[in-house]
Parts: sequence; C-alpha cells; structure tokens
Amino acid sequence: MALNREKVGTTYPAYTYEVSREKIREYATALGETDPRYFSDGDDCVAPPTFAACFTITKGNAAAFADPELGAHHGVVHGSQRYTFGDRALRPGDVLTCTPRITDISARGANEFLAIEVTCEDADGHHLVTALSTIVLLGSAAPAAEDAAGGPDEEVAS
Amino acid sequence: MSAERSIEVGDELPPVTAESNLVTSVLYAGASGDMNPLHYDPDFAAQVSPTGGVIAHGMYSMGLASRMLTAFAGGPERVLEVDVRFTRPWPLGTTSTFTGTVTAIEDGVASVSLVGTNESGERILRGTARVRL
Repeated sequence: MALNREKVGTTYPAYTYEVSREKIREYATALGETDPRYFSDGDDCVAPPTFAACFTITKGNAAAFADPELGAHHGVVHGSQRYTFGDRALRPGDVLTCTPRITDISARGANEFLAIEVTCEDADGHHLVTALSTIVLLGSAAPAAEDAAGGPDEEVAS
Repeated sequence: MSAERSIEVGDELPPVTAESNLVTSVLYAGASGDMNPLHYDPDFAAQVSPTGGVIAHGMYSMGLASRMLTAFAGGPERVLEVDVRFTRPWPLGTTSTFTGTVTAIEDGVASVSLVGTNESGERILRGTARVRL
C-alpha cells in the first residue's frame, strides 16, 4: 500500500533523549573508535558525530511508522542520511528535545522514499543536531507512482 | 586539527578499512538501537533484503566514514555536517574501505568528499562533509 502523501509536513510530538557516558562508550566501541575522549570519565567526554543515530533513526521514525494515516510498513532500508551539527559535540548529561517531521514522500520504481527530519535542541533551546533520514519502503509504491528518475548510483542500499 | 598543519584542496584523508560481520552488526544494532532484523537475521533478510542476505546497517558505514572524518579534523566538535547516500548494500562477511578528499577550503571550513568502496571496487556509500579547520 502506498504512503499517504498528505502527511508531508506533519510534525509529530517531541520526545526527549538523555545522553549518557556509557551509551557513548558503547557506540564508540561498535565503530572501533579510539579517541580517548569517547571513553573518558572526565568533563572532556564527547560523543562521535553519528552517535545521533541512537535517538534520531529508530526513535525519530517511530511516531511516523505508528501513524495509521501514513500507512508505512517495516520492510525498509536506509537510503540516505544527513546530520547538521551545532557548535559543540554532544556530551553526557545533555537532555535533548527531538522533534520529528515528515518533509517529503516520493516514489521510484516499486519503492517509496520517506524523508523525516528530526531537530534536536538541548535544555536551553540551543540547537545541537538536525537529522534528515530518507527511509526506503520496499515495494510499497502504487504501480503508476514513479516520479523521480535515479541514476545508476542512486539505487537502494542499506 | 592544529593550526600549524596546512590542509590543501586535493589532500586525502587517512582511510578506514573495516569488515562487517555478525559481531559488528549485532554490536551496532545494540549500540544504536536499530534492531531491524535485516542486519542479523538470515531468514528475515531472505524476505526483504536487496541482496537476499544479511547486510550491514547503512549507519555503520556512515559511522566509519565519520570516524575517518573526526580523526582528520581533530574531534567531533569540528564536524559541521555529514551527508551520505547508501548506494549499495554492504553484505556481512565483506570488507569496505572509506576514503575522503578535501574538495574546497573557505573561511576556515573544509569541504570533503566521502566514498565507501567494497571489495569489488563498487561504491557502497558516497557523500560530502564540512569540517572546521
């Protein structure tokens, strides 16, 4: 079933995420990071840039995928991802307010592309990171829904 | 990155090479909270995977490209933006290499092109980044 394109522009309720030292360590370990600040017990501890994945991919998409009016299914792959950062790295103790919004829905071939932006601010309203994810819903497009041409490098991946 | 180090357009970043396997994939799933079984369950992957098999998280590849970027830039606080497209699946059990090239320098900010290449020389990831020098 195709996605409901009238949902483009929909903002979902904000959720919070608290950055913790142990989660930063766990994430850095999964990437084979060696920067000692990711493993520090001190005030210099910071998170790697894509640590933001921990609270912007699954959590950021959850409201949209739970929205019966959108009609998303779970046979998905990740098409593209952008992170735009504020003027400092994330650090333990940050309490983020994250607001997801559907920014675009398109189709190519049998697949649909759902773009979700998540804007994340700290407790003082200071912008720390904005995520823009394009999630590819495999096989959900209506037969005549193709509306974007992709080059050979634009194909679906992971 | 120290101010003494001179960065020029055309400079190549020290590359990062890594294998994806069931351990890296489960570690990344747990660390990131992305529990899509496409990344560890062969039966599920057989139903929906573009390759018919288990593939790495796209974010694992982006994370490795970003590891290269922060090592070059001198820390995560210098990374202003990372923007990538996952152009091919990365099957578990294979190795990919991530490379970057400085494409422009303006007002103390370097633009970097990012590429992830699989064992066959095909691109699994491509993108751009901006880092403060």
